[in-house]
Amino acid sequence: MAGFVHLTIDGQGIEVESGTPLIEAAKQAGAEIAHFCYHPKLKPDANCRMCLVEIEKMPKLQTSCSTPAAEGMVVHTASNRVKQAQEGVMSFLLGNHPLDCPECDQGGECQLQDFAHQHSPTLSPFSEEKRVFDKEYFGPLIEKEMNRCVSCLRCVRYCDEVLDVNALGSIDRGTMTQIGGFAHHELDCEFCGGCIQICPVGALTSRLSMYDYRPWQVKKTETICNYCGDGCELTLESINNTVVRTSSKLGTGRNTGDLCVRGFFGYGAIGHKDRLTRPMIRRGNHRLQITWKGAVESAVAALKKIVETHGPGSVGGVISAHCTNEEIYLFQKLLRQGIGTPHVDSSTRYGYVNAITGLHKVFGTTRLARYEDVVGADVLLVFAGEMTETNPIAALKVKEAVRKHNATLIAVDAYTKQSDPFRSHLPRLAKYHLQILQGAESLAIVGLTKALLENPVLSEGDFSPLFLEQVTKSVALFSFEEIHAATGISQEAFSQAAAAYAGATRGVLIFGRAITGSEEGYINVVRLAHLAILAKQVGRPGTGILALASENNAYGAIAMGGLPEYLPGFSPANGAGYTLPGMLDACERGEIKALYLVGENPLRSLPQKNVQAALSKLDLLICQDLFLSETAAIAHVVFPAVSFAEKEGRFTNQEGEVQRVRKAVEPVGNAKTDLEIFSMMGAAIASSSAAGVPAVSFDYANSEAVWREIMATVPDGFHTDSAEAVSQHVAVYAQQAIELAPPVVISKRRNPDEFDLQVGQALFHSGRMSTYASGLTTLLSSAIVLMHPSDSDRMGVEEGEQVTLRAGSGTVCLPVKTSLKVQPGTLFVPEHFSLDVKRLLPLAFDPTTGVPYSTRGRVTVSKQKIS
Amino acid sequence: MVSYEKILTKNMDTPGYMGTLPEYRATGGYTAFEKALKMPPAEIIDIVKKSGLRGRGGAGFPTGVKWSFIPKTHVGQRYLCCNADESEPGTFKDRQLIERDPHQMLEGIGIASYAIGASVAYIYIRGEFDLGAKIIESAIQEAYQAKFFGKNLLGSGFNLEVILHRGAGAYICGEETALLESIEGKRGKPRTKPPFPAVHGLYQAPTVVNNVETLANVPYIINRGAEWYASIGTPKSPGTRIFSVSGHVKRPGNYEVPLGITLREMIYTCAGGIRNDKALKAIIPGGASAAFLTPAHLDTPMDFEAIAQIGSMLGSGGVTVMDEETCMVQAATNLLEFFYHESCGKCTPCREGSSWILQVLHRIERGTGRASDLDLLETLCRRIEGVTVCAFGDAEVAPVLSTLKHFKEEYVAHIEGRGCPFQPNVELVMAH
Ligand SMILES: Cc1cc2nc3c(=O)[nH]c(=O)nc-3n(C[C@H](O)[C@H](O)[C@H](O)COP(=O)(O)O)c2cc1C
Ligand code: SF4
Ligand code: SF4
Ligand code: SF4
Ligand code: FES
Repeated sequence: MAGFVHLTIDGQGIEVESGTPLIEAAKQAGAEIAHFCYHPKLKPDANCRMCLVEIEKMPKLQTSCSTPAAEGMVVHTASNRVKQAQEGVMSFLLGNHPLDCPECDQGGECQLQDFAHQHSPTLSPFSEEKRVFDKEYFGPLIEKEMNRCVSCLRCVRYCDEVLDVNALGSIDRGTMTQIGGFAHHELDCEFCGGCIQICPVGALTSRLSMYDYRPWQVKKTETICNYCGDGCELTLESINNTVVRTSSKLGTGRNTGDLCVRGFFGYGAIGHKDRLTRPMIRRGNHRLQITWKGAVESAVAALKKIVETHGPGSVGGVISAHCTNEEIYLFQKLLRQGIGTPHVDSSTRYGYVNAITGLHKVFGTTRLARYEDVVGADVLLVFAGEMTETNPIAALKVKEAVRKHNATLIAVDAYTKQSDPFRSHLPRLAKYHLQILQGAESLAIVGLTKALLENPVLSEGDFSPLFLEQVTKSVALFSFEEIHAATGISQEAFSQAAAAYAGATRGVLIFGRAITGSEEGYINVVRLAHLAILAKQVGRPGTGILALASENNAYGAIAMGGLPEYLPGFSPANGAGYTLPGMLDACERGEIKALYLVGENPLRSLPQKNVQAALSKLDLLICQDLFLSETAAIAHVVFPAVSFAEKEGRFTNQEGEVQRVRKAVEPVGNAKTDLEIFSMMGAAIASSSAAGVPAVSFDYANSEAVWREIMATVPDGFHTDSAEAVSQHVAVYAQQAIELAPPVVISKRRNPDEFDLQVGQALFHSGRMSTYASGLTTLLSSAIVLMHPSDSDRMGVEEGEQVTLRAGSGTVCLPVKTSLKVQPGTLFVPEHFSLDVKRLLPLAFDPTTGVPYSTRGRVTVSKQKIS
Repeated sequence: MVSYEKILTKNMDTPGYMGTLPEYRATGGYTAFEKALKMPPAEIIDIVKKSGLRGRGGAGFPTGVKWSFIPKTHVGQRYLCCNADESEPGTFKDRQLIERDPHQMLEGIGIASYAIGASVAYIYIRGEFDLGAKIIESAIQEAYQAKFFGKNLLGSGFNLEVILHRGAGAYICGEETALLESIEGKRGKPRTKPPFPAVHGLYQAPTVVNNVETLANVPYIINRGAEWYASIGTPKSPGTRIFSVSGHVKRPGNYEVPLGITLREMIYTCAGGIRNDKALKAIIPGGASAAFLTPAHLDTPMDFEAIAQIGSMLGSGGVTVMDEETCMVQAATNLLEFFYHESCGKCTPCREGSSWILQVLHRIERGTGRASDLDLLETLCRRIEGVTVCAFGDAEVAPVLSTLKHFKEEYVAHIEGRGCPFQPNVELVMAH
């Protein structure tokens, strides 16, 4: 339907796409129309009446935000009638307004201020008593000043239309209309800060940065969030080298201006008082602060000795996927070329590596879907019920597809379809929700595949007989009855979902940690890839697969060769390198003598493994970090590194989008960027030139110089493969023998005390770093256990009451929070706080990728005795 | 006194008539529906168009034309909503239709739904109408049992589900788009138009909203023909209307008369004249939203055009009569208190303007008014008029603008005399 229409605005003829609201069309004609309730992200509500224009042949003034441009329209945006009307509306808006700009955080960036200057006379006719609302807060982070509210409902509409959270509403009537939470409850929402950002006035402001700044004083730096793989662009606003606020710009970045709670309220870690500021070395039981020169020299001297005695293979290194591409590239260069060891890995080993290696094997590329594909999809198959928490902005794209464009959502996960109040939850939006038993992902994929293959219409296609035969065989092991018993999903439900997915015009498959970070992760990625091939939802424009990453540069870490499988640019490595768990084993065996950990803290991430014993065998442990982590506390050398706000470089998000990271503030104390540290280390190693190691240059002026080298080394490392290239690769793949181990059937729970426990990410946190951000710890600062109300009722447990989780001889006590989202019989504990809860879970390793699986297990629960 | 043929209130004159289905059937009830179900829907719309029937809810929009706005090519759900929210001060005719002869409305709903292709019809009834709700509920049951509602009606293949929805006490929910929001379970706030309900109505599906009285007329039009209907009343305002007469008259009540009789006949003949034979001062001819008229207007015919021409409207048909002892400032204030209380708060001019105007009126009535207040009132009203989301904005300024126009001297007397000349000792309490 998209055609063009021609119209005249203020005497100027213009052409716009049909459907364009007049307020946007007027911009083209150079006219800015004053407005409050209009926002390009939201459906028009036309409640403020500020944007009135005169349209010839229409007797009444019309609101330009809600009137689409039409052929032949003649519009006046500044006629006397219009001006009078706008002055009228302004007088009403200002009447009850407190005019307290000097003490309002919005002052200087307030639409009411700006438009008042343009559309109001200096003298107000209002001499009545002003309506006054009492001061209230929207929970711990949002300040509510309803006297300033212009009732535009942008906040309410954003929370509903974009977030699907519905925490806000307008309450009361007439002049007493105000914005409130449901039934005057304390606001307990997702705290994305969107309402604060979208409020045109100072009615909703951040309590975290209250009175910290005036908008014209801040330095603004556009950069990329360093929490999850969504890759949101955000603006760090700083005064005197301190970040005082984050914001985002409408329509910019992969997030198109939306942020989640971590992006908006999570900046507190940057300038945290516990940041490491000086290099340290350990002498006996003491840590001594020393100079950089001293620290680097002693680290290199020790390294050199180890390499001379035990060979370069006695050194290993692991880097966090929160680092930049340039840093990860340089780190692997330092280890592979500077030292000569193949043992380099990254935190993608905790699961994301399954996605990339699996997809890369089948498709030859891993960049298979972008957010545009998600938004434009007509069918979405999502194996990530937790997506609104792990990847909130990518989840917004799914919400947009479903709510704005009526896409069909098929959700396969171990959550219920119900959400908790004022939280979004994808299963709630699903047309087909396959609510599986915990751990039944593999059989659910098998069920879907089987349903596809058994439907002659759906499985019709140009597949290689070998491929079909192998896939058919791989799902033949189980009958639908057995699959039903193991997953809880009937054959009919599988058939409907499979038909919907395969029937898509533009189907996109999304999966996250429930697949990649859980048992059978690698093989499940391959199974899903096969499913997408069979459903013909890959290799065509608009279709594809998106693997969610919990770390901001997970994709980049792999593309940069930060793992033993690949060199930079996905070229296969020789296979001699150890993975992270492999390195820990080698430490324990005494084979690895020196370990270099950058932002990595295995003592915390793998509590079930005897990491302590392994690390204690080392001759040299170097830790490079922002904070003194558990592992850094026992290191021989500690290098203080800087946060994303203090450096330049690039992150690659989960779509494979390379984005610029910019420095907003100077490093704290003597901390240095990872890049500088690697350069110093590299230069020191090169100059000490251990025998047999060729000298490699580590002389870089800045991150740009590193990036140029990367581009020269792996020119093809970042291009998106075309749909044809993907199809060609699939055709080759389909001719090969495929080894698919049969899926594992999870045993049934035996008695009502037994629960399936899932440990995972909470919305308010991301890894460990977020626990240093006061904005986020205000919302959640210690572990809790989510339990379905039917279970807590059955056990007679009150909200907030402690229960004991037990597995084997281990026990953990946690307070209960009821949640409608978790299935009866299952529990969820956020991973960010308690180490002990992970000790209750078994640890297993992926046979292909070595990924450690330690997020699921079975526990018994009892009410804690009051002693 | 001339007597006119009653259409909608005819049965009610029969002693003992309770409005049950058998009684209604005995007067020829549902024969129009039976007839309609055998006709092509377009033909029904055509007949209603030709009859000239205009909406009785307030705006007086031609009913057949409204029905024809439902997009013909639309596949999928369509809805009919019967507006039984009757909350306009001074209006009480739908209540009588509902309580005394509900099947006329239900039959009209059946015919209208069939004509526009709606398989679901809602009746949105004012929350306070307890008795009315019970009566409709049982009438709906009767109609289902008699197979006038339900599946495959009279073998035509047409299905109709009729649902009674009770409001929760906000005047604004009578506004058609607020009514739709309310049925959808949201706060009853008007939507900006366009789009109109005929295109995006209930749950975004094409929807017709009609008043109780409007729909109750439909069976008679189908049975007796468009020409017959058009012959009643005036050419542009055909048919009868039920006027609810209240205020200082001898015989307040509902009167069904052909459109076009004069205000004088209505007040002095039908309603028996002014109480205690006092002099007439002001008339509101069409509910609280209509501008005040004066005795000078008594010979104006009560049809849509003539009343509009003298600056008011027939609106909901609520005729409020005020005698010579009524304070016009107080009358306007009283109405503004209502509008202040009922403004939904969605759009700026009405939300902020209603309280502002009321504060100024209170000041004048209290005796602390300023000379500049008359201009201020006029300015505030002009700033609301025509720019609000819904017609409530125009409604709330009507009493103020019209009293300012016709009774300016009373305002001046309040300001100059520092108080109300009619009730000098009464201290008005602010409503908020
Ligand atoms: C503030 C306001 C209140 C209204 N209240 C009612 C009402 O109570 N009953 C009604 O039938 N129409 C009411 N209307 C008119 C409706 O919006 C709508 O025009 C009418 O129901 C259409 O039916 P009709 O075409 O049969 O008149 C109201 C309009 C406004 C602006
Ligand atoms: S709080 Fe802000 S965004 Fe919300 S209605 Fe008021 S002015 Fe608009
Ligand atoms: S944590 Fe993820 S979703 Fe949230 S702002 Fe950062 S990148 Fe975006
Ligand atoms: S005019 Fe008044 S009642 Fe109508 S939408 Fe605006 S605020 Fe609500
Ligand atoms: S911006 Fe158009 S009415 Fe508010």
